[in-house]
Amino acid sequence: MAAVPQPDYHEIDRTVMRTLEWPGWKYWVWIGFLFTVVVWAGLCWVNQIYNGLGVTNLKQPNMWAMYITNFVFWVGIAHSGTLISAILYLFRSRWRTAVYRIAETMTAFAVMTAGLCPLMHLGRVWFFYWLLPYPNERWLQPDFRSPLVWDAFAVSTYLTISILFLFMGLIPDVATARDESTGWRKFFYGLVCLGWQGSDDQWRHYKGVYLLLAGLATPLVISVHSVVSWDFAMAQLPGWHSTIFAPYFVAGAIFSGCAMVLTLMIPVRKWLDLEDLITPWHIDNLARIVLFTSLIVTYSYLVESWMAWYSKDPFEVMTFHERYFGPYGYLFWLMVFCNCIVPLLLFSAKVRRNLTLLFIISLLINVGMWLERYVIIAGSLATNFMPSQWGFHTPSVTEASLTAGTFAFFLMMFSLFARFLPIISTTELKEGLRWLRQALRQESAEAA
Amino acid sequence: MPVEVSRRSFLKLAAASGAAAAVPGCKPAARHLIPYVIPDDDVIPGTPAFFASSCNECAAGCGVVARVREGRVIKLEGNPVDPISQGASCARGQAALQGLYNPDRLQRPHRRGADGLINPIPWDAAMGQINKALREAAAGSDQIAFIGPPMGPAHEWMVEQWIGALNSRMRVAYAPLDGAQQRAAMQLCFGREFVPAYHIDRAEVLLSLRADFLETWGSPVELARQYAVFHTPVNPGANAKFGLAYYVGPRMSITAAKCDYFLPCHPAYEAAVGLAILRVILDKGLAHPAPGLDMQALRNLVAPFDPAAVATKAGIRAETIEKMAQQFGQADGAVALAGSDDEAAHVAAWLLNAATGNLGKTVDLYEPETPAGAPAQNLDVAVQAMHDGKIKVALIANTNPQFSASPQVHFGEALRKVPLVVWCGNVPDETAQLAHLLLPVNHWVEDWGDTCARPGVYGLRQPTMTRVVYSKPLGDILIETARAAAPKASALPFENTQDAVRAFWQQRFKNHVGAEGFDAFWDQALREGGYFTNVKPAAVKLQPAFSQSAIKLPEDLEGAELILNAFPHPYLYDGSGADKPWLQEIAEPVSQIVWDSWAEVHPDTAKRLNVNKNDLIQLTSPLGTIEVPVHITTGVHPAAIAVPIGQGHTSYGRYARNRGANPWAVLPPGRLTIAIKYNRGVGQRELVSPVYTGDMYNRPIVETMTLAEFQRGEKPQPWEEPYPSPSELYQPVVYPKHEWGMTIDLNACTGCGACIAACYAENNVPFVGKEEVRRGHIMQWIRLERYLPETADSPTLLTMPMLCQQCSHAPCEPVCPVFAAVHSNEGLNLQVYNRCIGTRYCENNCPYKVRHFNWFKPAWPKPLNLQLNPDVTVRGAGVMEKCTFCVQRIRFGEIQALTENRNVRDGEIVPACAEACPSRAITFGDMKDPDSAMMKRRREHEIRVYKALEPLNTLPAITYLRQVYRPRGEV
Repeated sequence: MAAVPQPDYHEIDRTVMRTLEWPGWKYWVWIGFLFTVVVWAGLCWVNQIYNGLGVTNLKQPNMWAMYITNFVFWVGIAHSGTLISAILYLFRSRWRTAVYRIAETMTAFAVMTAGLCPLMHLGRVWFFYWLLPYPNERWLQPDFRSPLVWDAFAVSTYLTISILFLFMGLIPDVATARDESTGWRKFFYGLVCLGWQGSDDQWRHYKGVYLLLAGLATPLVISVHSVVSWDFAMAQLPGWHSTIFAPYFVAGAIFSGCAMVLTLMIPVRKWLDLEDLITPWHIDNLARIVLFTSLIVTYSYLVESWMAWYSKDPFEVMTFHERYFGPYGYLFWLMVFCNCIVPLLLFSAKVRRNLTLLFIISLLINVGMWLERYVIIAGSLATNFMPSQWGFHTPSVTEASLTAGTFAFFLMMFSLFARFLPIISTTELKEGLRWLRQALRQESAEAA
Repeated sequence: MPVEVSRRSFLKLAAASGAAAAVPGCKPAARHLIPYVIPDDDVIPGTPAFFASSCNECAAGCGVVARVREGRVIKLEGNPVDPISQGASCARGQAALQGLYNPDRLQRPHRRGADGLINPIPWDAAMGQINKALREAAAGSDQIAFIGPPMGPAHEWMVEQWIGALNSRMRVAYAPLDGAQQRAAMQLCFGREFVPAYHIDRAEVLLSLRADFLETWGSPVELARQYAVFHTPVNPGANAKFGLAYYVGPRMSITAAKCDYFLPCHPAYEAAVGLAILRVILDKGLAHPAPGLDMQALRNLVAPFDPAAVATKAGIRAETIEKMAQQFGQADGAVALAGSDDEAAHVAAWLLNAATGNLGKTVDLYEPETPAGAPAQNLDVAVQAMHDGKIKVALIANTNPQFSASPQVHFGEALRKVPLVVWCGNVPDETAQLAHLLLPVNHWVEDWGDTCARPGVYGLRQPTMTRVVYSKPLGDILIETARAAAPKASALPFENTQDAVRAFWQQRFKNHVGAEGFDAFWDQALREGGYFTNVKPAAVKLQPAFSQSAIKLPEDLEGAELILNAFPHPYLYDGSGADKPWLQEIAEPVSQIVWDSWAEVHPDTAKRLNVNKNDLIQLTSPLGTIEVPVHITTGVHPAAIAVPIGQGHTSYGRYARNRGANPWAVLPPGRLTIAIKYNRGVGQRELVSPVYTGDMYNRPIVETMTLAEFQRGEKPQPWEEPYPSPSELYQPVVYPKHEWGMTIDLNACTGCGACIAACYAENNVPFVGKEEVRRGHIMQWIRLERYLPETADSPTLLTMPMLCQQCSHAPCEPVCPVFAAVHSNEGLNLQVYNRCIGTRYCENNCPYKVRHFNWFKPAWPKPLNLQLNPDVTVRGAGVMEKCTFCVQRIRFGEIQALTENRNVRDGEIVPACAEACPSRAITFGDMKDPDSAMMKRRREHEIRVYKALEPLNTLPAITYLRQVYRPRGEV
C-alpha cells in the first residue's frame, strides 16, 4: 500500500509549475490537428460569406439550425464555469479549489466560441455591429424589444466578466510562475501578473475585487442563459413559446457545463500529472451536480410535454407529437437516452469514482445536450403553423465543418492555455490544503 | 357587354393617350438602342408610359397594357377596356416578357453550314438567299409553304397575299391545341362553324366534359371572371344563390377541383356520360323546344346511352347522372363545355346546350369573320407535298411542329426533303434544328398586328418598345420577299408591317369609321388597344336530323388496360411556355410540382403496377415511349395515367432543354389520349415541390363553410375556442391617414397562379431553378396554399393565395434586432433591405411563412435583367424580403394624389396580384375608408369573413372570405 500523499505548499507549486514546461511533440501534433480543422472551418466560412448562406442546407422553414444550436450549446457550456468559480466561491465550497481554474478557462473560451456562432449565422456578417448601440449620425439604434439585442448584451457582458474573473484569479499564480522561470517566460509572466509582489495591500485589494467579481458574476449565471432561452421563448412558434424556458435552459446549461468540465478535467488530470491535486473527491462532487441538473432537465422535458398536452393547443400538441414521433424523433430519443437515462448511473458512488466511465458519460451528455438544442431549434421550426411549409433540415458540409471548427477552436484555445498558464490555482489550493489532504487520506482509506 | 372603366384604367388611358403620338413604331424606329445622351422628348425618366396592345400567348386574344419605363417594357397588365381581359391577365400573359427578354432568343439571322452548325450572317445575305429561292420556286405552282399558327386577321391576310403572289396555296395553319374537335362538332351539329362566346355567369348549372376552362381551354381569363360570378355565393339565407358545377373527366385539374363535384371518368366515356345526361333530360321532358330541334331524332341518337350502362363503364353512379340531368334540365341557364379530344363529347355538349334552350342564353354563337380567300391547309397536306418533294421553300413561323406534331405525321422526315427551310421565331426550338435559315422575328410585344377574339372584339397590337435583338417583324419579311421575289409585285405594296396592318384595318372597318375619319378611328384603336363593338350573335339552328353514325366513341380506348391522358400544362401549355423560368417555377396548382413532367397515377393503379412515388415509369404507345416519374394522387381515374404536356424539349433554350418528357411524341394526331403499355423504368427521379404536405391538419388556414350552413345564414364557429383576448403591452399603433388592407375571396380564387407571375414581374422576385426549389430556397412572395382534404364532407381541394398578411401585431417586427422589419403608419410591415443583417428571426416568428431569405445573390441572365422594375430594389444576398403590398405602387399613387392636391381615390392603387387576378378574387383598399370597394366586399360577405390563423392574434390586414362548398360526398 502506497503511502498517503500529503502535498505541502512547495509540492503544489512544483506540480503546477511542471505543467508549464515546454510541451512535447505529441502536444504539438494535437495543436496542429486542431489548427488544421480551424483553418478548414475558416475557409468554409469565407466561402459561405462570399457565396451566400445558400451553401448551407438552411432553408424554408429551417432558418435556424446548427449555427444557433452551436451558439446555445457553447453559451451553455460557459455556464458551469461561473457557477463553480463564483457561486461556489461565495458558498465557500471546499472542493471547488482544484476545479475552478479549469472551469473558468473553459468558460472564457466557450463564450468566445459562442460569440462566433451568431456571426457565422448572419446573412450579412459584415454589419454585425448594427446589433450594438453605437453613436452614428443617423441615430439608428438596435430595437431593444428584440431578444437578439438582449442576447448581444448578455453574451458580451458575460464574456467581459468571465475574462476579468479568470484574469484576476490568475495573477498570484502567474506571479509564482514568474518567480520560478527565466528568459522570455519570466518577461511574459511578469506582464500577465501586472507586477504582483504579494504585499499585504495587494492581497487585501485582490481579495476584495475577487469577492466583488464573484458577486457580479453570480446573477449572470442565471440571467445570461435565461436571455438566451428567450431568443426562443419570445417567439410564438410552438415548441419555443414557453414560460419554463429560462429555468429549463439554465439547468441544462449547468448540466452540460459540468459535463464538459468533466470531459476536460479527466484527461488534463492524467496527462499533466495532477492526480494529487485533483482527487476523486473533487470529481465526485462535480458528478453529483451533473446528476442533480440531469434530474432537473428530465423534469423539464416532462413538464414541457405535459404543458403541451394540458394546453390542448393543437399546434403545440402536434409539434410535440412530431418531436417524439416525427422525422427527428430518433434525435429526441437519443437525447433522452443521453440526458435522462445515462446520468442515472451517477447515483452509484462506484460510477462516480470510475473515471473512464465518467468520461464516457460526460461525452454522452455533451452529445445529448447538443441534440437537445438542435431538436428544439430545428425540430420546432420544422413543424410550424403552416403544414405546407414544413421541412426538415439535414446538415451540409459547410455547417458540419463550421460546427467542427467551433469545437476545434475551443479545444485549441484551452490546450494552449493549459500548457502556458497555470491550469490549477495554487493560491486557492494552498488556502484549502487541509481539505485537500483530508480528501487524499479519505481516498486512500477507501482504496484500502 | 358593358365595360366598367375604373379610375385607374382611366388614368392609364390618359397616360396612353398622351403617349400615343410617341408610340415607337409610329415613326421610323431607331435601328439600334442608344443611351440617352440626347434624351428622347417622350421619355420622362421615372415616369411609366402605358401602351395598349393585344396578347399573343394563346388564342384568347386578351387586351394588354404594357408598362414602359425608360423605353423598356417592364410589365404587362390587362387592358381594362378590352371586353375579354377587362384589366386582368394570366400567368402565361405575364410571362410573355420572359419570352421577349429570353436570354436564348436568336440574336441575329443564322445559316446552317455544311457541318450542321449554325453561323450568324447579315440580314441582307439571309434575305438575298430567301428571295432567290422564292423567285425560283414561284415559277412553279404550290412550291412554297408557309407554316404558322392561326394568326390575327391582318397577318392572315398578309400571308394569304404573300402566298398567292408566290403562286402557291400552301398556307398551313398549325397549332397543336387548336380546338379542331370543337369545330368538327359544330360542323356536325350546326352544319358549319361558328365562333362561340360563353356566359358562365348567366348559368346556374355548369357541366364540363374535360374542359379546363380556368387554365387552358377557350379564353381562361374571361371564363375565370365569369366563373367567379357564377361561383360566388350571394344572399346568405334561404334564398342563397350559388352556381353548381360538375366536372366529368379523367383527371382532377384545378378547374375540376374548383367545380363543386369532380367526377373521375374513364377517358373513353366522357361523351357517353354527356349523352346519357341528354337522354335523361329528354326522357323526363326537361328539353326546351328550340329551332331545329327534332326531338325524335335526338331520342334516337341518345337511345343507346342508358344511364345505368354508361355509369358502370364510366365509373360514375347512375343516380349521379340522373341528378345532373335533372339539375341541368331544370336550371334557369345551364352550360355544357367540352374540352375532350373526343369529338363526340363536343357533340354531346352542343346538343345539351341546344336541347335545354341555352343557345343564345349561356352560349352565343357568332358568324366567323375570316377574310375571304382560300382556307388554310392542314399540316398533313403540307407534309405530303414535302414528302413528295413538291415544296421547294418552307417558311415556318412561330410554331413548332417538330415538337408537337404526332410522330405519325412524320413531319421532320418530310421537312428534310425541302431544299430551303426558313425558320422564323424567337427562341430556336426543335423545328429550328431542321431549318437552313434561322431568322429572328420580332416578339409580339415589339410588333404590329391584330387579333379577333370574336366578332365585335378586334384587338390591335402595336410595338411597345424597340426590339431587343437584331430581329425583323414577320410582316416585314413577307413584304420584302413579296416585293423582291413575287412575279406580281403589287401583292403587298407596303413599306412595312405597320402600313400593312393600317391598310388592312382601313379596308376592314371602312363601314365603322365615323365622321371624323379613319385617322381618328385608328388613333383611338391604338390608344384603347383595339376596336370594340357589339355584334349580334347568329341565329343558330341545329341540324334537322342526326344519323347514329354521327357519334363515334373512341373505341381504341374502350377496354384498354391503361390510358395515357395527356393534358396541357396550365403554364407551359402546348410546350411554348417551357422557355420561361417563371412558368417553370410556378407550381402546377394541383400537383404543386415544378420544373418537371410527372405521371399522375391513382393509388390503386400504383398498387397494381407496383410503383411508388418518384419511380420512373415508361409509357409506351404504338408511336413511342416516354419516361416519367410517378406522382401518386387520387385525382385521376384508375384507368388513366395523366401526364402534362409542355416539357421534354431537346432544344428551345436553357430553361426548357432536357427537362421531363414530351407526351406529343406518343400521341396520334389530334388526340390527347391513347392506350398504353407500362414498363418499369430504371431508378427514380425526385419530383420537386415547394409544398411539404397536402394535409391541413384542421388548422384555421383555409376556412370553409358548407352551402347548408350558408343557407342557414350562420357564421361558422371558429375552429377552436377563441383564445382569450390578451392584454396589450405596447400602445396600439395609430394610422393617421391610411391603413391598407386586402380582401381575398376564396370562392373566387381559381388557383390559376396569375398573381404569382404578376408578383415575379412587378417585384423583381428572382427565380431559383429546380435544385434550389428542392433545397427550400424558392422566393415567391405570394404562393398558393393548396390542401387536399380526404373526407367526404370536405371540398375537393382548398386553395388560398398566401402573401404577407401585413399584420397589425406583426410577429416579425419586435424580433428584428435592427429595425429592418418595421411597421409603417399606413399599416404596412416594411422590410428595410439595407438595414437587414440576416438574422432570419422574423421568418422563424412568422406564422404564415411568407418571408424569403436571399440565400444567394439573385441572377437574371442578360437580357432578362431588362425586365426588372426600376421602382423596386433588387435585393442582394443575405437579406430577408417579402411582399410589400407593392409599396412602390402605393407611393406612386400617393405622390400622384399629392401633386394633384387631392386624396387618394379608391381603386387608384392596385397591387400587381390584385391587378392580374382574372377572377377578381383580390381587392385592395384603405381600411380607413368604409366606402372602399375592399371594405364593401367585406361587409357584403360578412358571413364569410375570417382571418388566417386568427387565434394567434396577429391582426392581419388581409381578410379572407371563406370558401362555401358542397360536400363532395353529397354528389
